[in-house]
Amino acid sequence: MNKWFRSGSPWIWLSAGGVSISLISVLGLLWLIASRGLSYFWPSELYQFDLTDQHGAKSVVIGEIYDREQIPVSQLAHLNLALDPEQEILERLLIKTGNRELVSLDFRWLLSHNIQKTQTPKDLVVVERRTHGNFYGFIESVVVDGKEVDKNKLDELLTRVDNFQDQIDDLQKSDIGAINYQLERLRLKTRKYQLQDKLTAELQVEIDSEIAALNQDYEILEKELMGYREQISRDHIVMRAMDGQLVTINFEYILKVTFNNQLNTFDKTLLFFSHIGSFLIEDPREANTEGGVFPAIFGTVLMVLLMTVIVSPFGVIAAIYLHEYAGKNAFTKLLRIAVINLAGVPSIVYGVFGLGFFVYMVGGSLDQLFYSENLPSPTFGTPGVLWSALTLAILTLPVVIVSTEEGLSRIPSAMRHGSLALGATKAETLWRIILPIASPAIMTGIILAIARAAGEVAPLMLVGVVKMAPNLPLDGNFPFLHLDRKFMHLGFHIYDVGFQSPNVEAARPLVFATALLLVTIIVALNMTAVSIRNKLRERYKMLEH
Amino acid sequence: MISISPKALAPGSDTSFEKKLDLTNLTPEQVALDINQLNLFYGKKQALNNITMSIPKGQVTAFIGPSGCGKSTLLRSINRMNDLVDNCHITGEINLHGNNIYDKHVDVAELRRKVGMVFQRPNPFPKTIYENVVYGLRIMGENNRRKLDEAAEQSLRSAALWNEVKDRLHESALGLSGGQQQRLVIARAIAIQPEVLLLDEPTSALDPISTLTIEELINDLKKQFTVVIVTHNMQQAARVSDQTAFMYMGDLIEYSDTNTLFTTPLKKKTEDYITGRYG
Repeated sequence: MNKWFRSGSPWIWLSAGGVSISLISVLGLLWLIASRGLSYFWPSELYQFDLTDQHGAKSVVIGEIYDREQIPVSQLAHLNLALDPEQEILERLLIKTGNRELVSLDFRWLLSHNIQKTQTPKDLVVVERRTHGNFYGFIESVVVDGKEVDKNKLDELLTRVDNFQDQIDDLQKSDIGAINYQLERLRLKTRKYQLQDKLTAELQVEIDSEIAALNQDYEILEKELMGYREQISRDHIVMRAMDGQLVTINFEYILKVTFNNQLNTFDKTLLFFSHIGSFLIEDPREANTEGGVFPAIFGTVLMVLLMTVIVSPFGVIAAIYLHEYAGKNAFTKLLRIAVINLAGVPSIVYGVFGLGFFVYMVGGSLDQLFYSENLPSPTFGTPGVLWSALTLAILTLPVVIVSTEEGLSRIPSAMRHGSLALGATKAETLWRIILPIASPAIMTGIILAIARAAGEVAPLMLVGVVKMAPNLPLDGNFPFLHLDRKFMHLGFHIYDVGFQSPNVEAARPLVFATALLLVTIIVALNMTAVSIRNKLRERYKMLEH
Repeated sequence: MISISPKALAPGSDTSFEKKLDLTNLTPEQVALDINQLNLFYGKKQALNNITMSIPKGQVTAFIGPSGCGKSTLLRSINRMNDLVDNCHITGEINLHGNNIYDKHVDVAELRRKVGMVFQRPNPFPKTIYENVVYGLRIMGENNRRKLDEAAEQSLRSAALWNEVKDRLHESALGLSGGQQQRLVIARAIAIQPEVLLLDEPTSALDPISTLTIEELINDLKKQFTVVIVTHNMQQAARVSDQTAFMYMGDLIEYSDTNTLFTTPLKKKTEDYITGRYG
């Protein structure tokens, strides 16, 4: 035994055990969020349950099985169920029943004890809607322009409405959006002239005529829009819900009608991917509990890229100064320690700093100087994507500085001497020899910075993230990149959907799906940076020996 | 007075007769570097004591001596590489064309262009062979492709490397062998046409064959440049140099033409060293 200890194998086992535990926890985490998240997109069977409760009342419930739970009988004593005395455990099902206009809660628990019969009728449908969530039931009739038509025409009618819907979106987002944007600019222009006392009668006339022209355009577009609206609200379907009530659903609100029980595996797979697709490219609906997360993806990536663009040059420059130019004295040492300790400051503190310094001081002053026409409503003096990127840049600065400095100190002095001996100045040596060789280390710093920044949520809640941003920070209106705008972020989205949502059960799978997406995006950003670093390393690898 | 230099006995060298110089009494045209009462301190420790010597133009001068005797330090003072060492302090002067290189207004980068240096271990940059050779020219602002190509070829030929690398000029210099790397570094140093070339134990990290190639190369180089070489190896000093300076504990003990120094040393210490009694 003693010999075994001295051989060193216990330490090998111990370290191997440590590695395995880390590996297992990472894989377990990924498996959990992937399985929970992805099952959200899989079209599930639709069930019809015939129930008889303990009083003998019969009812029908239609919906998807969301969850199963085992509960001890003792908890249900108050229900006075007629049970076998031996039985200790009962199963209950969580059913998503939708149909929010009929019942306020679209989830419902069923005791499997009460279920008399479970069916999967082929003609049961789920209707995905723009508002009010899903509707589960049977199609009673399809009505076109007041006349009942064949149910098979449904697909055709849906495609027609979809096309109109796309045109409406286009019209609203780009054309009408652009007019509103220009009107706002004109308003600000007028205000600016007023503030500067330069608003002459001619200018006023000029601006008024521009406004009139825009309003005219707007009226034309609005008429077009109303036309489309009329078109899409022409038809409706009548649905029969689980309790036999008839409900009319206008086509205007319908996204998709699916006969889940008629689908084979292939169809379901197609539908699965189309659900993932729409999750990725659509805007959220219904207080973020439905629809996609595109604005959040966009916001996260844009903010991280901005942060990288800001932090890389600053970090590298600071590291170069500390390592190459600063005198090797106690003050430099102190400075270095301060920088390293900066990495340990809790991120919410950076958020507070960002809010106080960037948003109120810098942003407020910018507003006074350049955007006074918009006051008292702030332009930059309010949280926004620029301030978020800057705050995170400060947060990740120490990481970049430390790894760049490490890279610089690893470079053999023969390289510097070689260059200096050829008549290069220190700056030329740095620029042409040292920085290229240190580039893999700099990339390592940037990778760590991205990994840290993409996962931060706390400081962002103070300096720019919102639950729902109506406009992306990047659009077709000059100057295209609107750094003053607020943005959505996947990390905050997870928090918001999971814990601030009015419909917790519906939000749960979305939380997992969003978490999976966030992990995927961070991994993708990291992998890009890692592959760049590996290319650089390949180029300079011979220096190692 | 005419004598046979010892290198004439080395394989591959020519057997021409050379005029022996009177090192204490050179004409200004004959002098490449004039070192005058040079003292060098690392912090409080003195590393060079009052060195005075003249290094003749177009010849190979070797510094020999035991480890720590200051020969490398002296070499590095000539192109002010010692400036990079913290706490290094110098008195006295080194004159190049009659100007003290330690004057306040001297541009150190400019000086190092005139006084090139090759280090103990080959230190090619992690760039292509071509970019290594033209590095110094690029620093000087030369971007004309044709001129760079010419200079690269000429320097590589002078460094006896052209035939080995002409087909892979645009591959990484780090793929060359140690001996080739050292010749590449020499090519890089002579591409900017320095007046003086300092070689700091250029063969100590190389195998015997590469060493021989470099020694032959040094012999060719003195036609164009003044060469100063530091070496551990007395045979090497005897083979390649015209003048030899023996240093000990920061003092210049003896400085004369190589033949004299190795055959009839004046000082006891020199004799002890070259006969292998210490060092």
